[in-house]
Amino acid sequence: MKKVVILGGGFSGISVANKLAMKTKRKDVGIVLIEPRDHLVYEPQLLFWAFKNYPLSKFTKPVTKVLNPRVTWIQTKATKIDDTQRAVELSNGETIYYDYLIIATGASMEEDKIGATHDDNVHHFYLPKATEELQKSLSNFEGGTILISPTTIPFKCPPAPNEFAFLLDNYLRKRGIRDKTKIKFLYPLLRAYPVPSVAEKIQELYEKRGIEFVEFFNFESVDKDNKKVISLEGDEFEYDMLVLVPPHEGQEVIKNSGLGDREGFVHTDRFTLKVKEKENIYAIGDCTDLPVSKSGAVSHFSSGTLVKNILSEIKGKSANHKYNGKTICFVVTSFRRSLLLDFSYNYPPRRYGIHNSFIYGLFKKVFKIAFFQVLVKGYM
Amino acid sequence: MCLNRNEVKVMSDYDIAIEIDARGSFCPGPMMELIKAIRQAEVGEYLSLLSSDEGTRNDVPAWINKAKHELLEIINEDGHDRYIVKKLH
Repeated sequence: MKKVVILGGGFSGISVANKLAMKTKRKDVGIVLIEPRDHLVYEPQLLFWAFKNYPLSKFTKPVTKVLNPRVTWIQTKATKIDDTQRAVELSNGETIYYDYLIIATGASMEEDKIGATHDDNVHHFYLPKATEELQKSLSNFEGGTILISPTTIPFKCPPAPNEFAFLLDNYLRKRGIRDKTKIKFLYPLLRAYPVPSVAEKIQELYEKRGIEFVEFFNFESVDKDNKKVISLEGDEFEYDMLVLVPPHEGQEVIKNSGLGDREGFVHTDRFTLKVKEKENIYAIGDCTDLPVSKSGAVSHFSSGTLVKNILSEIKGKSANHKYNGKTICFVVTSFRRSLLLDFSYNYPPRRYGIHNSFIYGLFKKVFKIAFFQVLVKGYM
Repeated sequence: MCLNRNEVKVMSDYDIAIEIDARGSFCPGPMMELIKAIRQAEVGEYLSLLSSDEGTRNDVPAWINKAKHELLEIINEDGHDRYIVKKLH
């Protein structure tokens, strides 16, 4: 019997665990998931949650409800991987041994590296607690300057700060305080999005909606006493509210184990999803250094390849299935409209618009249900 | 991508402190790697960026100009460009 150990129970880890459970027999393959959190969050909802108060339970599910009962869940954290012994040290003091290891530890939100908190009116929407604070501040906001900026690249969901700018504009208009508010979008590049054709559309919409775009702003620090944000290029902007994408890094377990790059993202073969220069270890999702977006869609489209490769290895065959970089990405341009991007390693992003608010609204609702009932459970 | 400090002397004219090999990476990868390296470099040091992405030809000179560093040369090599940059402040 082979043992597959999965580190991380976010979308990537749980969906891969479930797919493996469906495609193998209990007597042949044991599957263990290591995850300290007891709930899975539908993270795309955090962006919308910043603007409307409703229970977090509307978009979270207990791990026990989404994990195949065949998978053994150990509620603890991995602290170190020893690939020579095929062992993982756990924070509960135990050591677990594997035949195959899947790293799905995600990205760590390094909030402490911002140097300011929600008490300084510096916010983000990448974790539930932080989003809740942002929601409170926004509901009390009566006008002023709101700045939006990433701190590091890469970060999860590349269009998220642009989407926040669009939704903020809508929100302030609904509240009747848009004319009392300046929105500035500060971005590290010459354009407002990495892909030129998409950036062009976004900047056109920014102009229409009065969102000021500031190019080449690479976040350096926050001067919270003077309410200023400062860039590497030497620019300074004053704010009443600052909404950042928090610094993203790999998790401590990756840094402790020497499996990652300078930021702790796992060195991963872009096609096979095997960890480079290691045997029997794979990586998936936001923890990897793949040259594609950090998003649930990438996890979804790559998980089939990973599972096929592990099954091949278990059968004594070589792992020659390849992920082609396929992904899709929604860029929300208002509460009712969206652009859809489709790309892979082989072709640049193709852009489609979903401008029918009924279809988009329906899609959003259906997708959230599908996330928990179909995608996480590994049915697709 | 690799980053070698004080290991590479690419051009006889420049004492390269940091070389960034971003060949095969698409925009904005090469420019973001250069920005990371600039953060690490000391004032006065030379950096060399290798990029095969065409977008880099627009982005890097524009960013260097904005950030007030110095772009000394863009050397066309086999299948990629080499950007020689000096950190000024």
